[in-house]
Amino acid sequence: MTPPPLSSRPLLEALADPRSCTGYEESHWDKVIPLARRSRLLGVLAHRVAGVVDSSRLPARVNRHLNAGIIEARFRRQKALHLLHVIAPVLKRHQGPWVLLKGAAYIAQDLDLAHGRLLADADLMVPRSALADLEQALLRAGWEFDKTEAYDQHYYRAWSHQLPPMRAAGQVLELDLHHTILPPIGRVKANTERLFADAVAVSGSLFHVLSLDDQVLHAVVHLVHDSDFAGRLRDLVDIDGLFRLLPLTDPDRRRLLLDRARLHGMERPLRMAAEFCDAWFRTPGCREVMNASSSPRSFSLYGASVMRLANRVIGPGDAESSAIGGALARFVLESRALWLRMPPWMLAYHGGAKATRALARRVSFRESAVRG
Amino acid sequence: MRFSDVDAGALLQQLSSSGVGIDFGAARARIQTRLPALAAMIKTVYAGFPVEDPSGMFDLSVAVRRVGGLRSILRPQVELRCDGVREFEPFPLDTPLPLLEWGTNYGLASRLFCYLLLHAGVVERGGRAIVMPAMPGSGKSTLTAALSLRGFRLLSDEFGVVRLQDAALLPMLRPLALKNESIEVIARFAPEAVIGPRFPKTHKGTVAHLAPLTPHVDSRHLPAAPGLVVFPRFVADAGVSLEAVPKGHAFARLAVNSFNYDALGPESFDALGKLVQESSCWQLRYGDLPRAVESLGKLLDTLN
Repeated sequence: MTPPPLSSRPLLEALADPRSCTGYEESHWDKVIPLARRSRLLGVLAHRVAGVVDSSRLPARVNRHLNAGIIEARFRRQKALHLLHVIAPVLKRHQGPWVLLKGAAYIAQDLDLAHGRLLADADLMVPRSALADLEQALLRAGWEFDKTEAYDQHYYRAWSHQLPPMRAAGQVLELDLHHTILPPIGRVKANTERLFADAVAVSGSLFHVLSLDDQVLHAVVHLVHDSDFAGRLRDLVDIDGLFRLLPLTDPDRRRLLLDRARLHGMERPLRMAAEFCDAWFRTPGCREVMNASSSPRSFSLYGASVMRLANRVIGPGDAESSAIGGALARFVLESRALWLRMPPWMLAYHGGAKATRALARRVSFRESAVRG
Repeated sequence: MRFSDVDAGALLQQLSSSGVGIDFGAARARIQTRLPALAAMIKTVYAGFPVEDPSGMFDLSVAVRRVGGLRSILRPQVELRCDGVREFEPFPLDTPLPLLEWGTNYGLASRLFCYLLLHAGVVERGGRAIVMPAMPGSGKSTLTAALSLRGFRLLSDEFGVVRLQDAALLPMLRPLALKNESIEVIARFAPEAVIGPRFPKTHKGTVAHLAPLTPHVDSRHLPAAPGLVVFPRFVADAGVSLEAVPKGHAFARLAVNSFNYDALGPESFDALGKLVQESSCWQLRYGDLPRAVESLGKLLDTLN
């Protein structure tokens, strides 16, 4: 696989070897800090640096920004805990288990990779059978949908793996209520029954989390299968952290992970994630996953070009250059994500509906502008 | 060399290549642009600031440039990037300075979690600060500008920067944005004041920027101890009246009016508590600017 683009390397080096940060010139920090902030990794970098370097050995201006990363992540962590605390009484009146996903799960388990990690929203998975009642209960408790247009509501409910994001007064984070981890009409369908069956209770908490293997695979498909890769380095850092936690270097754990990937039909995404982690973070054990007999032998021309394009846009990159190549790569990857998310007939319908609504909005905007 | 002294052509040259550094006191930014009109405006409203070497580390890099593409023929616009990222929609081409100022404030507010950032004007005299938090339209900027032109040192208008360890107020000295009627009010109040070009029809009405005085620029690394917290409210023809505000109320109103009180957690609670404890807190209703300035001076003197 092609190496990461030059523009991302200052950040990758700092993440990989935080001890070397003491030798950085201020002009080098001037590159590293914005790259980290842009990738939503400032807190993660700060946590890694704080673990091995005494802050007195860094310039004051650098410490200030590293602290900012830690403070912001701490704030969002606090807000997530508060959100879970607030919805707990509502949940308890419904059928569980309540399974935390991604960031909220890392926090609940107090994983090292949760430290400094900037949480975007709180993801909670509940059995589909409990979803409708729980939704009503949350609405009664003051939660509201952000997206209220009929088509959006329909899209999420019919074809997505979650309800539209919900918000409540006083909450900074959105609550995403899932019933599985991938769109049920997509190319890859997770085995939802097994996700729930093997979920693990978090001690001292009301909540469950996915089994570690499923957490790894969820992080993998979230990036490799269900995103357009653009600016998603944070998600790759998650996968790297989970691979190391497993650890991927243990042949038995690796075999179990590959088995689990087969169960969910996720061998190919896992192989892709391993290639990425190997190229970007030299994560130990990735090569073995790539070479395992149960891994897909090789990627098609299409798969290889997806990897190549993704490699180009996943990092924070050189934001100053708005090169046509980058824009094209983003377009292709966005189309791919949609393609994987739904069958072609759906794609046509969804695209048509979106275009019609955009046109309608434009017309009504024009009209109101004329009237106003 | 200060912006006022530098040759306009040389300044544009530097702004369009590696950019220039500007030190606001509590933070510093690197500014880049190829727009000659903006370079001239920067020269006016940052007149007293030294032009600094753009190498090294900056808290924020902002670049202002013309938006390209076909649409720009019909609707010419400028965009601002904070550290390379366009975080909000472009402005019309003829308002580059409001975009630079607004965008820089936005960038600073979202980066400086090392301080408690109040939305407040701050001035100082005799080492003690007057912190004036306020909602838009309260006349905070007008009052801050007037004080800064009558012997008080300007620390900031948009950000009241509170150092977490000791609740000292740090300068974040930037051109002071005056809106609508207050532009002429200040021009009449102090005819010697340097006010940049007027920008009509921005999303906040007409905006113009008051250049900070050179002595204030030179003191931009000098903190001030808490003195007064004053909640101003402009009421036409109201004269001047001051009413004491209970400290608990002052605390709550300051916290609500902060950019990052929530995010800082216990640190901001302690710092804000200290600021309020050490300040005398007042509600000011004013319709008469010179008298308001005079009253605040007297009030501050009673502390010392």
